Amino acid sequence: MKFAPLILKHLRKNWLRTTSTVLAMSVCIFLFCVLQTVIAAVNFGLHAGSTRRLVVRDYVSLANNLPINYKQKIAALPGVTDTTIVSWFGGIYRDPKNFFPNLAVEPEAFLRIYPEIMLPEEQKERWLSDVRGAIVGRKLAQRFGWKIGDTFELESFIPPYRVGKPFDFVIDGIYDTDEAKYPGTDLGAMYFNFKYLYEATGRQVGIGTLTAQIDDPSHAGAMSKEIDQAFENSDNQTKTETEQAFRAGFVALAGNLALLLNGIGMAVAFTILLVTANTMSIAVRERQQEIAVLKTLGFSSGLVMGLILSEALLLGLMGGLLGILIARGIITGLTYVPFLGDVLRGFPNLGLSPEIAALGVGIALLLGLLAGFIPALLAYRARITDALRQV
Amino acid sequence: MSATAVAAKTGAVSVQNVVKIYQRDSQQIKVLDGLTLEVPQGEFMALMGPSGSGKTTLLNLIAGIDRATSGSVHVAGTDLTPLSEGELAKWRSSNVGFIFQFYNLIPVLSAVENVELPLLLSHLSKKERRERALTALRIVGLADRSKHYPRQLSGGQEQRVAIARAIVTDPAVLVADEPTGDLDSKSAEEILDLMQTFNREFGKTIVMVTHDPRAASRAHTQRHLDKGVLTE
Repeated sequence: MKFAPLILKHLRKNWLRTTSTVLAMSVCIFLFCVLQTVIAAVNFGLHAGSTRRLVVRDYVSLANNLPINYKQKIAALPGVTDTTIVSWFGGIYRDPKNFFPNLAVEPEAFLRIYPEIMLPEEQKERWLSDVRGAIVGRKLAQRFGWKIGDTFELESFIPPYRVGKPFDFVIDGIYDTDEAKYPGTDLGAMYFNFKYLYEATGRQVGIGTLTAQIDDPSHAGAMSKEIDQAFENSDNQTKTETEQAFRAGFVALAGNLALLLNGIGMAVAFTILLVTANTMSIAVRERQQEIAVLKTLGFSSGLVMGLILSEALLLGLMGGLLGILIARGIITGLTYVPFLGDVLRGFPNLGLSPEIAALGVGIALLLGLLAGFIPALLAYRARITDALRQV
Repeated sequence: MSATAVAAKTGAVSVQNVVKIYQRDSQQIKVLDGLTLEVPQGEFMALMGPSGSGKTTLLNLIAGIDRATSGSVHVAGTDLTPLSEGELAKWRSSNVGFIFQFYNLIPVLSAVENVELPLLLSHLSKKERRERALTALRIVGLADRSKHYPRQLSGGQEQRVAIARAIVTDPAVLVADEPTGDLDSKSAEEILDLMQTFNREFGKTIVMVTHDPRAASRAHTQRHLDKGVLTE
């Protein structure tokens, strides 16, 4: 610690160089933290899926509905213990920027199959008996200040669900979850009775997706195949997969994106490493005389090397901490940006985790160490007489 | 036997048959050629000679910042020849004070912090270090400039801070390489006065390289080097 003033004063003297290096480092760490947070959020949703739930959908496209009678046929298959329709409604609340997931389900079966959706008993009873009723997640209720009994309207952008007027709903329940037991549960969604949608559209709509609960997760592959084979010769062939695989399909693009973003992050980190190494080299070269003086005074080569490395590590630490602060601010701030914020809020656990922040600091320190190593080694090897002769 | 006692018996500095050869690309340059020099304890010696005669090289060997190709160098009772780099660094921190021609103060540190630098290698507390540094500055007459940075001091004042830094660890030997070479005559006189004071009142052994006959005249003895050998 007694050498700290020497290190700090050097950094302060070249404040412009120090600031630009710290900023460069912070951009690198900021980028790392944001990318990792997004990737973690996507992966978190992926792992939240249950292995006992199969998702059945149209083979060609999610945009195509399955015939309504498929539900009975699938429910009758051996090994299927329960089913519920889960159809993406695509409803807009007042303005597209107010986006939130809203899905038509069969309430009773839905609550059985999705135990992570937790409702107080009286709210559950109210929802089951109210066709116009809806349940909203705790976070969604907080977002719009909704409470039990409030009404609101949604108008879908999906053509079959557009009936000339908005659908009106009553909030019958505000669901929550046990986050320890069911991590990744989306508390920003809304569910309503499929019957309401079915009747309002003149019984014209089919099934968006159907969730089938099976008795044995180890048979998921065989069951999926069996379901698809059942409709192999029909007009609407099905594609069945586990809920995790279904979600993985959604995030496959994100997976590729993660690869791309990680690549970009690596390139940025490498560039920052070169910039910082160059900065440190210049700093050490400018101080050849000082290094010689320190050694003349009795500072060992190891100590001089340690001082240079400490300086580089301190630059890394400052850059890392600043990068984390910026990342935290940006991640929080983006959720308030119109539309983008709504999309981001769709990720239930979006936020800079302590693990990612710690990793960010670790990378910043590693970058600092790598950047400072060669200059520190040069300082270590510098001969006093050679350096003094250059004065 | 203490280092000072050994030094008093054998001389503060004893250079025996020293050869120093520099390798410059494929050429070998012999800078010191079998040089022998004895500097008694409490001596103030001036080393003179033309450029390239080996004065600074000899000074560097005495200060323990360079190594002889052959021969032996004893300073303050220690044979420097077998010491490792680390041991030499440790030895320098407490046995020798170096005064440079261009002061070589650390620009980002204040006067008192510059003087305190060698003490960072000691086990002294922060308070003790600061007290000793201030005392050294008081001795060179710059107590009122302790918080000034090198850029805020004149050349003469910078050199006085450098001298305070050289004496703060109370070394037995001071080596000075052209200490007045970058100063006006008045400042040079002040610096030489100071060095004489350290020699007379504190018993410091001083070896000073200089081109200036007036500076050399302040020393007890003058030795001349030419082409790596002492000529008188």
